[in-house]
Amino acid sequence: MEQFESLLTCCVCLDRYRNPKLLPCQHSFCMEPCMDGLVDYVRRQVKCPECRAEHRIPYQGVQGFPTNVTLQRFLELHAQIAGELPDPTAGQVMERCNVCSEKAYCAPCAHCDKKVCEDCKSAHMEVLRREIARINNQIRRGVNRLQDILAVVERNTANLQTNCGAVAGEVDEIHKRLAKALKDRTDFLRNEVDRYLATELRNLTHLKDNLELELSNIQSNCDLADKYMNDDVEWEDTELVDTKEIFLKTVEFLRNFDYEAGDYNRRIRFVMTHDPNQLVMHVASYGELNITHSNAYSTGLQQSQGLTRSKSDHRLASQFRQQEEAKGYTENDEPILGGRKFGERRPPPPEKHTRDYGVTDDYSGYESEHRPSRRFRSRFVRSHQTDNDSDTETSTRAVKAEQKEKEKEKVTDTEDATRGPLSGIFRLSDCPRVMQRILDVDSGKKKEKKEPPPPPKPVQPTPQPRSRPPPPARQQSEDDEISRLKRQNKGAASSQEPDRTPQRPVEEERSSISHKPPTPAREASSDGESDESVGSLQRNQRKNTAPTPKPTAVRRPSASDTSSVHRPAARAPSTESSASTESSGSAVKHTGAILSIAELKAKYSNDGLPPKPTTRFLSAGNERPTPVTTNGTTGGAQRVQSRFIGSQRPTPAPAPAEPAHEDSDTSSEEETDSSEESEEEPAPQRKPESQAMARSDIGPLLARSNNARNDANDNKNKDTPTQSRYRTRQTSQTEEEPAPRYGASGSSYSRYGSKPKDDEMTSSLDDDSKYPTARSRYLALKERRNRLARSKSSHTGFGAGDDDDQDEPVSPTTASPSAYLAARYGSGTGGSELSRSRSSHALKSRESSPERPVTGEKDGAALSSWARYLKNKYGSRGKDRDSGSTSSSASRRLSLGLPLRSANELASSDDDSKNAAGSPISPTAATAAVAGFAAAGSSPRSQYLQKRRLQFSVGSRGSEPGYFTWPRGIAVGPDNIMVVADSSNHRVQVFDSNGIFVKEFGQYGSGEGEFDCLAGVAVNRIGQYIIADRYNHRIQVFDPAGRFLRSFGSQGTGDGKFNYPWGITTDALGFIYVCDKENHRVQVFQSDGTFVGKFGSFGSKLGQLEHPHYIAVSSTNRVLVSDSNNHRIQVFDVNGRVLSSFGEEGSEDGQFKFPRGVAVDDQGYIVVADSGNNRIQIFHPDGTFLRAFGSWGSGDGEFKGLEGIAVMSGGNIIVCDRENHRVQVF
Amino acid sequence: MAALPRRIIKETQRLMQEPVPGISAVPSENNARYFHVIVTGPEDSPFEGGLFKLELFLPEDYPMSAPKVRFITKIYHPNIDRLGRICLDILKDKWSPALQIRTVLLSIQALLSAPNPDDPLANDVAELWKVNESEAIRNAKEWTRRYAMDN
Repeated sequence: MEQFESLLTCCVCLDRYRNPKLLPCQHSFCMEPCMDGLVDYVRRQVKCPECRAEHRIPYQGVQGFPTNVTLQRFLELHAQIAGELPDPTAGQVMERCNVCSEKAYCAPCAHCDKKVCEDCKSAHMEVLRREIARINNQIRRGVNRLQDILAVVERNTANLQTNCGAVAGEVDEIHKRLAKALKDRTDFLRNEVDRYLATELRNLTHLKDNLELELSNIQSNCDLADKYMNDDVEWEDTELVDTKEIFLKTVEFLRNFDYEAGDYNRRIRFVMTHDPNQLVMHVASYGELNITHSNAYSTGLQQSQGLTRSKSDHRLASQFRQQEEAKGYTENDEPILGGRKFGERRPPPPEKHTRDYGVTDDYSGYESEHRPSRRFRSRFVRSHQTDNDSDTETSTRAVKAEQKEKEKEKVTDTEDATRGPLSGIFRLSDCPRVMQRILDVDSGKKKEKKEPPPPPKPVQPTPQPRSRPPPPARQQSEDDEISRLKRQNKGAASSQEPDRTPQRPVEEERSSISHKPPTPAREASSDGESDESVGSLQRNQRKNTAPTPKPTAVRRPSASDTSSVHRPAARAPSTESSASTESSGSAVKHTGAILSIAELKAKYSNDGLPPKPTTRFLSAGNERPTPVTTNGTTGGAQRVQSRFIGSQRPTPAPAPAEPAHEDSDTSSEEETDSSEESEEEPAPQRKPESQAMARSDIGPLLARSNNARNDANDNKNKDTPTQSRYRTRQTSQTEEEPAPRYGASGSSYSRYGSKPKDDEMTSSLDDDSKYPTARSRYLALKERRNRLARSKSSHTGFGAGDDDDQDEPVSPTTASPSAYLAARYGSGTGGSELSRSRSSHALKSRESSPERPVTGEKDGAALSSWARYLKNKYGSRGKDRDSGSTSSSASRRLSLGLPLRSANELASSDDDSKNAAGSPISPTAATAAVAGFAAAGSSPRSQYLQKRRLQFSVGSRGSEPGYFTWPRGIAVGPDNIMVVADSSNHRVQVFDSNGIFVKEFGQYGSGEGEFDCLAGVAVNRIGQYIIADRYNHRIQVFDPAGRFLRSFGSQGTGDGKFNYPWGITTDALGFIYVCDKENHRVQVFQSDGTFVGKFGSFGSKLGQLEHPHYIAVSSTNRVLVSDSNNHRIQVFDVNGRVLSSFGEEGSEDGQFKFPRGVAVDDQGYIVVADSGNNRIQIFHPDGTFLRAFGSWGSGDGEFKGLEGIAVMSGGNIIVCDRENHRVQVF
Repeated sequence: MAALPRRIIKETQRLMQEPVPGISAVPSENNARYFHVIVTGPEDSPFEGGLFKLELFLPEDYPMSAPKVRFITKIYHPNIDRLGRICLDILKDKWSPALQIRTVLLSIQALLSAPNPDDPLANDVAELWKVNESEAIRNAKEWTRRYAMDN
């Protein structure tokens, strides 16, 4: 038999013959791969391995050799005799693997959805496994959220209970009161009735007695008269007279006596003061339960929403969103795994595969459990290439998992039993397949080397036990099964218990918390245990835990407990700079458990931040106050400047020493250039220079564009008028602008709707202080305000403020006070903190009337000092106003420029804030300010010095027009339009200079005009949009109408290829500069996409880059690159030579933490979005620090993760505030 | 991390299950294509009693190309050089996919029994073997005792 066996074995593959081919030497070999491998293609012959005979290969290749039919018969016979299963690969033909393009038996791979060879497949499965591990980690980290939400829910439960208790108490109280009132009244009424009855009765009896007496008297008199008043009896005359008199009186009495029925027939009637029916109705519905969503609760809800969709890998998020849109997320009864049972193969594509791939152990890996649905597949592959931002997000991973694990329709399946009711995620450990696997692993079948990757199970326990105890019967059997597994595992488990990660107890705790409900507790806890054990099983010996002791040990689950446990972490987050996402995320999160809404909000808007910046700003938050105060002062600037003198000054000096190919002309030019910039020379003088420079500037790289560049410079010179045209146009525009704004105040004020009263009061206040004579008017206004406050008519209230404003410029007063007032009125849209505290201020001012006169006085008193202050600080600037509008603008600038502190010192902050709140008045002033600046544009320095206050912000999170999801790049186009790369909405949005939505274009995809998380945007001189389509690794160009023109680039490291292109910009010539982020370089292209050059390489030396993010080109052709991971800005010339660099890591003035956006205005001033410090820094053209503003937060003028930044021609700074999903304009 | 071809697995299994007398080949723990081989010196040869360590590596395209084999233990043999490289035709041009690890090792063992000084790799050894075979054999025995025993 053995002989027989060996005869049927191919000596090359040592396997049973497959399609044996007979060589002329009578030796047989499998056709594939054995014979194939023997072919000597050069000599077109095959050498017999057995006898070394060489045979020519037939024309049609080795297939042309005759099949050894005899052998085949024998094979069949043998198979019959031995009862062997037919060769699984029998019917198969070898194909080229779609991945490695080797010839092999290919099988469809669920991961890439291609037919691939086993090797590739196992590699893919390895990838999947790693993915799963990673996702699992993220889930582990993200599970905190559920925990937090759980805590919130717990708390809300408690709150609810107390709330309901309180309400019940109230109801009882009311009931008592009502009952008492009712009873009192009833008693009172009844008493009254009784009393009345008594008195009346008494009266009546009295009357009756009297009447009876009278009656008897009269009767007797009558009888007497009848009997005795005849002749029988002798009466005296007097007697008779008297008798007569008496009788007459009696007659009179009888005649006159009138029973006053009214007197003795007074009926009382019970009259209800209210209609009894109504009263009953009133009582019956004497109160209702008004269910308001308390903030905490609603944020809780929001969080859970946020958990599932926000913050996550945006790509996935968007994918998910799409899916969600398509299907609706909450519909649980629609299958996640595409209707498959867990672990089942996807239904094979309609094509040919006959073979069952399901269970063969050819597939050495764990039967990969996550079959990413098709749409995720490519994502999976991609998500290896770690992108800076894509790390954090656990939740959509979870979502993804949830997407994947989907139910099927038969309820009998175990998978349905423990499905999380919220997410539809079932416990993997309940899957028969998974159980089988685990058993296999456990029973020591070594065929699977790899442990099954930890499935994303941890998400499930929380929702699951919380709301629904699983059906008992099922649970029982499950528990049996699981406990069996547990027992098997326990020996190994117990030994490793000590080195649990600290996260585990937390989780434990959570799960125990979740098992709080008394009745299902037992069940649930065992559930938790089993969960544990299964989890540990799945994680295999790596992280085993002894589940039994733990739950009991940790089961003291009160929400406060949890929170107190976590609180330290939250309070001292700055210490954990090394622990990145997790610590920061959890830090905020845990505070979330302590109920502050702000914190919760912070947490959730914060979570998506890349890890470093988060901790950064957390730590920076502590240091914050100091820099802020020093910001405005020259001291800080001086210091920084001196530092910069060190680094910057040398630039001219080494220039002559630079390599020979740079002619001295250029270098000297450079020198003049820099000096020129630092001196801020007037524009006319610099024109020829810059032209000359442009000519000499042309290096080898761009030599061919010499003429073009000259042209461009000419153009640029010509351009100045155009620009000024813009400006004038803008001014005119803005002059018109306010009118409709105000006209439509009803609607357009809705933005400010919450504080009209405030405004009005401000105005009245100011009026008061300003025009003492107008006291009466003030009073009138006050009255009116009160009335308004009552009627809540914001419109009129506002109108009043408006009136005042219009009055303002007319007032013929001395320069500074009016400037002051105008400044106060025009103070723009709110200093950040002030506007944040706006509401409280409003409250305060509304409530505490005594404060008003105080502030008024203060104002009056402050005026002189103000004037002095202004004069000192800004010299004569305040005076050189000629028109009303400029005056207000100038003064507005003054007010803008005032550092916060000093403003607070001088005027009461209350007052100030009211002005901030009163901002809607300002558009006139604001735009006029822009105009004023345009007119007096020669000194942007002072303008920048004054930058601090938010003019307005655009958008919030969302996908509708005018909303953003992670806005990144931003650019300014013609007419100061704002072009925003709405990254995770995969579109470009365009706004006008006032932030009014104009248009959008683009959608998700990789086709023409589609984006995948675009990052950078730029607008060239002819209005074309140039977009860095980040995940598609290409640049796309659109015409001014948003129509696709062309795209160029693909993923790679070669010239013209990209690896996550990020920032993008163009110069006057239309050359396109791209920050090729993961290639750590900048590439330059012609406007048609032709590669021109590149510079930068990975490293931290001068001229090297590490993750350059954004780029800007100045009008003097200096290229500024935000060298993000080196925490500096590097300045290159257009040839890629380093001119200078400034900044280092830190949070002092002039230092950066992961600077991102960089912009340069036409004067060469540099604006940097200092992302990690959440502030904007402005530098002189030579790189010396000018000023900084902004801090972490979500209020006005606060940031969470800055991205692109740009400067409008009027000097307005626009910046993408990524995590706040908005654009802010300063 | 290409998976191991079935042929290698089969060969390895067979080597484990039915070892060739006088030869042991054990795959390395971390690389299944790398074998630690020990060959006993054949009887009636100057290498008798010695245990010779070799290393054997199966290249990527094995069995279409020959395994790489090298002596680790020093050996005095005309067809094996100082570095342990072996001059054996089946390891070179005469390789055939029908050959296996065991056959290769058997061939090597045979080579020890029958040195071929006419096709030398170690010239000095081959010279001596041709000129003064007895001394060469003595040297071989000496080397065997010195390097291939008691270890």
